[in-house]
Amino acid sequence: MKQGRVVVKLIGRVAIILSVTALLGIAAVIFVPDSPEEEIREAMAALSEASSSNAPLYSRRLFREAKAAYDSAMAAWRRENRRFIYFRDYTGVIAFAKEAAEKGRLAATSSVSGSRNLRERIGSQIKETKKTDSQIERFFGRYPLREELRTRLAKGRLMLREAEVAFKKNQLLAANRKITDAEYLLAEVLKSAMEELKSYFGAYPMWKKWAETSIAESAKNNSALILVDKIARKCYLYNNGRIKYEFDAELGKNWVGDKRRMGDKATPEGKYVITRKYQGKETQYHKSLAINYPNSEDVERFKSDIARGIIPKGTKIGNGIEIHGGGGRGADWTDGCVALSDKDMDILFPLVKTGTPVTIVGSLRKIEDIISAENE
Amino acid sequence: MKNRILTGFAVVVMTAMLAGCGKVPQAQVDEANAAIAAAQTAQADVYVPADFAALQDSMRAVNAYIEGQKSKLFKKYGPAKENLTKVVALAKTVQESAVARKEEVKKEVETLIESLKGVIEENTKLFPRAPRGKEGAAVLEQMKTEMETVSAASAEAQNLYVEGKYMDALNKLKAAKETADKINNDLKEAIKKVGGRI
Repeated sequence: MKQGRVVVKLIGRVAIILSVTALLGIAAVIFVPDSPEEEIREAMAALSEASSSNAPLYSRRLFREAKAAYDSAMAAWRRENRRFIYFRDYTGVIAFAKEAAEKGRLAATSSVSGSRNLRERIGSQIKETKKTDSQIERFFGRYPLREELRTRLAKGRLMLREAEVAFKKNQLLAANRKITDAEYLLAEVLKSAMEELKSYFGAYPMWKKWAETSIAESAKNNSALILVDKIARKCYLYNNGRIKYEFDAELGKNWVGDKRRMGDKATPEGKYVITRKYQGKETQYHKSLAINYPNSEDVERFKSDIARGIIPKGTKIGNGIEIHGGGGRGADWTDGCVALSDKDMDILFPLVKTGTPVTIVGSLRKIEDIISAENE
Repeated sequence: MKNRILTGFAVVVMTAMLAGCGKVPQAQVDEANAAIAAAQTAQADVYVPADFAALQDSMRAVNAYIEGQKSKLFKKYGPAKENLTKVVALAKTVQESAVARKEEVKKEVETLIESLKGVIEENTKLFPRAPRGKEGAAVLEQMKTEMETVSAASAEAQNLYVEGKYMDALNKLKAAKETADKINNDLKEAIKKVGGRI
């Protein structure tokens, strides 16, 4: 009987202990603060999406902020986890995680649209820069550019190629850097070369006057006239004020500008006459027509250039300028003479004589007309 | 006596329940972090960026899981241990891929350096044989200037190669090679036109 009471008492005590334990367990579970796993998971997903959308490249600031917020959330979470379980507060963790998720999603969206816009922009920049390059080629392919401009042109072209290589590989940031430099360099080359050309055309009114008076004299005297247009690289034979023949001409290597001194490889501009005709063994260029360079105006300007220090003292003015054969090379190769093909020289030679006027001008057309014709 | 034993047992059970039954696999976490750092040292972020980002995502997930478990009353680190093993294996694969890709790019750069050198040498020999300007002396002068720029780019690319910046060297070399090849073709055509032999 006594034993039975002890057992009942024991069972009762065990039941009480188990109940208390169960209650404590339930309370423990109920009062444990909710862990911020869901929010962290969302932040992680957003970061991952941003990362696969190349946000570290194309939405750098937002991605960096999202990552910093995520790292702060994790740090806060760790800090809270070190505290006693019932004293933990995940509010800060959740706030950081939400910020990370929001910024991560924004970074992903902005990266997608940003990279698309960047791609479009670079694509059109490449197209435009290629246009600039082909304009340079069209206008200045045969123009003796200054060394500095040639170097910048070469660098610009190489950068344009580098931009294209990176663009094809979808390396947009590298492509962006290169195309920006290429665009700047080529635009500068085009601008500077255009300015030089325009400055050269400052003499156009004088060229026009020379050409008009020469043609009028040819008409008045019923005589022949040789008229050379350097920009067009044409040599015209006039008779009685009318064009009889048109020949392709090649010029001195530095054909832009008037001849100023010996060795500058420039073709002179002005009104001259044929002083002598050579053929056979008398010339190395099939047939040739010597002109009276330097004429009185050339000598006067040369003296003034020396006096002003533009040309160093002791420099010679040069001579021996001719219209001769040996041309047809498709190059500006002479030391300042005008070269025609031997076939064209055969046509021209018998139609002119000593004293026939030779007028050499930079251009017979205005620069605006040349540019608009090229653009068409 | 029996009562005391039972009470003690209940207290131990409760303490064990409250304290949790798992321990953070810190050694494995450290191993995984070291493996990721090794992959980064192998420039996985440069040569296999997508794989490296996936690796970082995996590690981030494991870290979040571990913190999640720490927040719980009853902790369970078994899945974390399994995932950490996977992360270590993935990090090694990513590292190997990065090394292989880097080697590939390095080889490509070396091949390009050699072939560009060949074209530069050939062009240098072709220039004196070219008629005085394919389309004019100005064109020939421009070609020469472009070849000088190509040579400078080649030297720059070789410096990048020495510095181990193979990706940067590759783009520079490809562009330089394209330019050199174009000049080579133009020169050969010009020489052929005037009856020269290539």
